[in-house]
Amino acid sequence: MIRGETSRRRFLVAVMAHSGLLASGMGAALLRAGSAWAQSSTGKAGELARMARLLFPHDGVADEVYAEVIDSILSDVANDASMTDTLKVAVTALNTAQAGDWVTASAGDQIAAMQAVENEAFFGAILGSVRVRFYTHPKVWEHIGYPGSSVEHGGYVDRGFDDIDWLPGDA
Amino acid sequence: MAIGYELSDSSVVVVIGSGAGGGTVSNELAQKGIDVVCLEAGSRLALSDIVNNPGIMNERMGWLDKRLGAPTWLCKTVGGTTVRWSGITPRFQEHEFKPLTTYGKLDDTTAIDWPITLDELAPYYDMAEDRMGVSGTHGIPPSAETNEFKVLKAGGKKIGYKEITSTRAAINPAARDGRPGCRQIGFCWSGCAIGAKWSTLYSEIPKAEATGHFELRTQSMVVKINHDESGKVTGVVYADLNGVLHEQKARAICVAGNVVETTRLLHNSASSMFPDGLGNSSGHLGRNYMRHMTKSTTAIMPGAVNFHRGTRQSGLIFDEQYHRPERGFVGGYLIETSSGDPLGMAQSVGGWGESAADYLENYTNLASTWVSGEDPPQASNRITFHKTERDQYGLPVPILTYNFHPNSIAMHMHAAKMSKQLLESLGARAVTSTMAGGGGCHNMGVARMSAEPADGVTNRWGQCHDIANLFVSDGSVFASSAAANPTLTIVALAIRQADHIAERMSHKEL
Repeated sequence: MIRGETSRRRFLVAVMAHSGLLASGMGAALLRAGSAWAQSSTGKAGELARMARLLFPHDGVADEVYAEVIDSILSDVANDASMTDTLKVAVTALNTAQAGDWVTASAGDQIAAMQAVENEAFFGAILGSVRVRFYTHPKVWEHIGYPGSSVEHGGYVDRGFDDIDWLPGDA
Repeated sequence: MAIGYELSDSSVVVVIGSGAGGGTVSNELAQKGIDVVCLEAGSRLALSDIVNNPGIMNERMGWLDKRLGAPTWLCKTVGGTTVRWSGITPRFQEHEFKPLTTYGKLDDTTAIDWPITLDELAPYYDMAEDRMGVSGTHGIPPSAETNEFKVLKAGGKKIGYKEITSTRAAINPAARDGRPGCRQIGFCWSGCAIGAKWSTLYSEIPKAEATGHFELRTQSMVVKINHDESGKVTGVVYADLNGVLHEQKARAICVAGNVVETTRLLHNSASSMFPDGLGNSSGHLGRNYMRHMTKSTTAIMPGAVNFHRGTRQSGLIFDEQYHRPERGFVGGYLIETSSGDPLGMAQSVGGWGESAADYLENYTNLASTWVSGEDPPQASNRITFHKTERDQYGLPVPILTYNFHPNSIAMHMHAAKMSKQLLESLGARAVTSTMAGGGGCHNMGVARMSAEPADGVTNRWGQCHDIANLFVSDGSVFASSAAANPTLTIVALAIRQADHIAERMSHKEL
């Protein structure tokens, strides 16, 4: 009944459409975008991974997870000059806002540099893409206590759907 | 089982769309022995195709064709958006059928009263609740109280609300009508993998097929409705999976494509006789587009809620649904629960940095309310079409223009305040509200029913004022949005419309 296998790319189109990201045009660009620049420049991937952690900072989540999120963005995008430019713009903008080497600055200065560019279209595009990948990552789910699919476990009818115990009174 | 009608068979009623409206009107007609061909743009999922993964399911059933402007959250699949919906089924209140009389004429609105009353619709609400298996009606027990419903109930009581219920969900509390009881799986919006939630996909459509008076053609996208020189519609042109066009002749046609496709089809069927689109002599086609004042409020509670366990919307509060203009707005709103997976919650609360991560770090302690409130009709909220851009069917790309009326902003402020009070009464912190959450799930009003032909597209039966054998069978016919989630009313109106069509046929008037 269903045509073909659901590709990760179409999944992201769907999720990003839901999030409104595609409306900006930047989401679509991200999906098409080229990875040659970043792959040839591991330092840039490192800066983007640091940016990902500062976007969604969870102390209990390992650096490797943030790196995987960035790697998955970079490996999914096809060659696309405009997106390569977007990613370049992001890293350049952070270094400019920091007036120096952003990746080695203090966390406070790094965040200030991000705040200085947070209304730029490229920032929104990267934020949306990182959010989709990070909060669907199995290790993030494990960290925050979200088990994912439940139907194969019979749902929660016998597994605590009504076990709340701290509410007041006769609730 | 399914039978094949000839394309040239002009005795059939053609129904376009198989969701709440189209699936229901199809089955009701077939049960009466009337031959129906239902054309559905999407494909047909089996329960085994439904997995607990919102992204994959959006790929399998979402309407992903290009649209510009305000986003909608609809489905291209057999069953339409009843595969995705959350199952909440309150009725409209009596005064909500008379918004112009009750509220007066608000600036920049096109309000009219409905051409029908609650009394007239009440017997059909009864039938709809029975067909759908609504909890708390027809001897069906209330829905089980989930963790998040208990939060809503406790907080609601704390701030003085009285009408708090875990009824009014079209999700079986126990097995009924060939469908199992709910197992609290928690992925209602990905489709119910066991079929406990009502959907025309596995309720009305198989029942219609069993009559021997019904044929469903999937992946059949209707692109045009044809008419004759007398102005009666005669058939529909549709593209099959391979893009090959066919014409199915028809005795009468029911359009139920949800607001965007219903508008586009009638618009796209313009002719020299109907230059502004079929049924559009009033100029109201595509206008008065309503989608409710919706908002989500999320907070971090002092203990675990685990709202991912169980139905995604598990109860509601009626206390704010009434018309009490002293609150600073007309009409009212319902407060409902609403849970989300981590990505959904991250998107809902928005932002980045420590505060955004704080919500997700406390995912197991999150609770949310979701509000659905009356949305006044405005001529400027409308669906139009791109002048040059075409989609894969060669149809003009739809453009959705939607802005909140000041009444909705005032209602939003009130609902935000009350939701915050409710959650904080239980010790919540970091309460955040967003007005966008859920917008585009409820879609109404672009072919509204009106007593006067100049005020709307359809009459009290959803029959076009201009064309006697052309009907609109979805939420497009709503003359106002009321506060309630729309599906129950769509189904009640569709059952009523099927009675009308059968009656007219028996008198040889169709």
